[in-house]
Amino acid sequence: MRLPLVAKAFGAWILSYVIFKFGMPFITSPLPSSIIFMYMSLVTVAVLLFVSVFEDDFHSFFGPITSFIRGEEGDGVGRKMSRIAVFIIIPLFFGFRTYENVKPSFEAPFPQRVIHPAPPGEAAGFTNPFEGDEAHYEEYIQEGRKIYYENCVFCHGDKLDGHGIFANALNVKPANFADPTTISMLMESFVFWRVSKGGIGLPGESTPWDSAMPPWELILTEEERWKVIMFLYEYTGFKPRTWE
Amino acid sequence: MLNEGVKGYQLKKLSVFLLLAVLFFGWGTPLQADESEPGESEMAEPVEEVLPTDDLAAGKVLYEKLCISCHGVEGDGDGPAADFFEPKPRSFKKAEYKYRTTPKGALPTDDDLFRAIARGLPGTGMPDWADKLNKKKINQVIKYIKTFSDKWDNQQGPHDVIPVGEPVASSEESIEKGKKQFTALGCTLCHGAEGRGDGATASVLTDHRGDPVYPRNLSKNWLFRGGGETKDIYMRINTGLNGTPMPSFADQLDNEQSWDLANYVRSLSPAVQPERGSMIKSGRVDGDVPSDPEDPLWQEAEASWFPMMGQITFEERLFTPSVTDITVKSLYNDKEIGFLLIWDDRSKSKKKAPPKPTFTDQVAIQFPEKLQPGGVVKPYFIMGDEKLGVNLWTWRAEENQFLESNANGIHAEEQFQPVSDVKGKGSYVNGQYRVVMKRALNTGDTEKDIQFESGVFYPIAFHAWDGGNGETLTKRSVTPWYFVLMTPETPKSVYIFPPVVVIIVFGLEFLLQKMLRKNRDSSA
Repeated sequence: MRLPLVAKAFGAWILSYVIFKFGMPFITSPLPSSIIFMYMSLVTVAVLLFVSVFEDDFHSFFGPITSFIRGEEGDGVGRKMSRIAVFIIIPLFFGFRTYENVKPSFEAPFPQRVIHPAPPGEAAGFTNPFEGDEAHYEEYIQEGRKIYYENCVFCHGDKLDGHGIFANALNVKPANFADPTTISMLMESFVFWRVSKGGIGLPGESTPWDSAMPPWELILTEEERWKVIMFLYEYTGFKPRTWE
Repeated sequence: MLNEGVKGYQLKKLSVFLLLAVLFFGWGTPLQADESEPGESEMAEPVEEVLPTDDLAAGKVLYEKLCISCHGVEGDGDGPAADFFEPKPRSFKKAEYKYRTTPKGALPTDDDLFRAIARGLPGTGMPDWADKLNKKKINQVIKYIKTFSDKWDNQQGPHDVIPVGEPVASSEESIEKGKKQFTALGCTLCHGAEGRGDGATASVLTDHRGDPVYPRNLSKNWLFRGGGETKDIYMRINTGLNGTPMPSFADQLDNEQSWDLANYVRSLSPAVQPERGSMIKSGRVDGDVPSDPEDPLWQEAEASWFPMMGQITFEERLFTPSVTDITVKSLYNDKEIGFLLIWDDRSKSKKKAPPKPTFTDQVAIQFPEKLQPGGVVKPYFIMGDEKLGVNLWTWRAEENQFLESNANGIHAEEQFQPVSDVKGKGSYVNGQYRVVMKRALNTGDTEKDIQFESGVFYPIAFHAWDGGNGETLTKRSVTPWYFVLMTPETPKSVYIFPPVVVIIVFGLEFLLQKMLRKNRDSSA
């Protein structure tokens, strides 16, 4: 049996939606709803184009729709009832969407925040005084470990993954050093500056300074800060970024 | 001829279809490319360590990389981090293990050790290692930590394991029976009448090393070290905790009674751990904002739950806070705003002189002194900073005082206002403080006091001190900034727009139908 064109067109439209919404997550990642909306608009245009290129297609597509809306002499009770249902459901749907848009919603402000601010001039030019001292490397690492576990572990965690015991109480989550997008993408000099200045010392674009990172220059000596940074790289197995 | 015509028609159709498909994908693909993540090739790969082939040697390498910071090179639980955690890291030399499936006093099975390492011990410094260590590696570490104690050499043959009988599903009846057991067995002596770890003996208990040990607060099962599900609780009841005063009740309870008690203990915690709130919605009341924490009006107010952390940014720091979270509700009317603060504290503390000083319990609400334009810039979340000050409402339990103060940093002297506009009432019942603090929306002092109006987001943060835990001044639990909003009355437009839209759309439908009918009639 051949399906009427209206059914085919609606079928294609719904199938496209199902593929974008539920099929794509299997192939790539789930699509954001704005992208799905854009794709579905394209599908709608394509379907309308397809049915209106030829005159007989045009009639076989719009014919059943117009006759459903205006109603015909021989319509049975079922057809009448479904027409009334459609006439009621569509306005209610739009009314509901309007309500969703105008009803007051109280979402806490979520200010934009730059996580890795462009380092000011002062962030460059720090050099690790222990660089190249292979003979004492292991010693420095153990000292760095001690400093980490007496100061940093509570937020950044035993596994350096940002899941310390206080992490859930913090509003900007502690950095996850085990993630390949943190310390491995930063230069040692920047890490040193960030550790030294903490959340308070961030430049203006990092407002509102929600980071709870203490300015460690008040508590740790310069050498202690370098040793703990060496420990971060040793433990995670990453190398600091350098000038290529 | 006819056949060819149909064929040609279908070919044309196919070509239209293909054209559309090409246009569609040609348009769609670049959009998707923009959304994609940076290529994986740019990501750095950590350098993997090569482990020795021998299990014991591999276990030693892993132990010395991952475990010594807390458990120590010698396995006696005194690594550099040991002083900063409560409870202290396990000593593998003493080999007293709390979380087992074996009778009290016995060594744990390998599976027990495996579970503790893989799942971690919630609420302690011990994380879940399952994502970092595979089965083989965990077993290698287990092999190595057993070398620290010769108790393991005496372990002959298989372990006795506590049998777990047919579970009794949780029901009102089972919980009621369990509650009776809870009292009859004397659980309340340590865990308290409502299980918040506030029993009479709670502050004097010690473990096998002489360190203070606190009975578990049974109303927060997400912090149960050995797991918070009913079957975990069943096991704890029957195994006891080695090295602590928690006995095993295996001889006193049969299977059904154990499940009843476990069901009761489970029922003391919420079904799921509360989610961290982002804001407090202050609800509008027509009458007075209730001062009494027990007033039924508070029950209808929306609760927000905020985890707390020790203040570890400025000396002196608090690494082992006893207040882990606080629940907040708020109500307001035309004149006043009130907050109900609820938090657990295992004892009502009093000032006591050294050698083991204790202090009064306290709580404080922190606001910025002034709302900054745009509301983005806030004072530093711990007591403000030199430029931007904070306005604090504090309640001191022992003195039952409501105070108002201002501060510009935790080390700058806190300026107490001569007259406090904050009023309220506090109570302590069965290990829980419930405190109401109220103040007028506007005090007239726009320099020192935050002023409130509805519909505006105000930054808000909390501080709590358990004086019995030695907490005072800088040693306190803190939260970062959240927001409080006095939810405005719903604007009238909300009730007008949707019906208008419904009528318009319906009208359009009607017009369309009319138009189509007219068309048909004229063409007929």
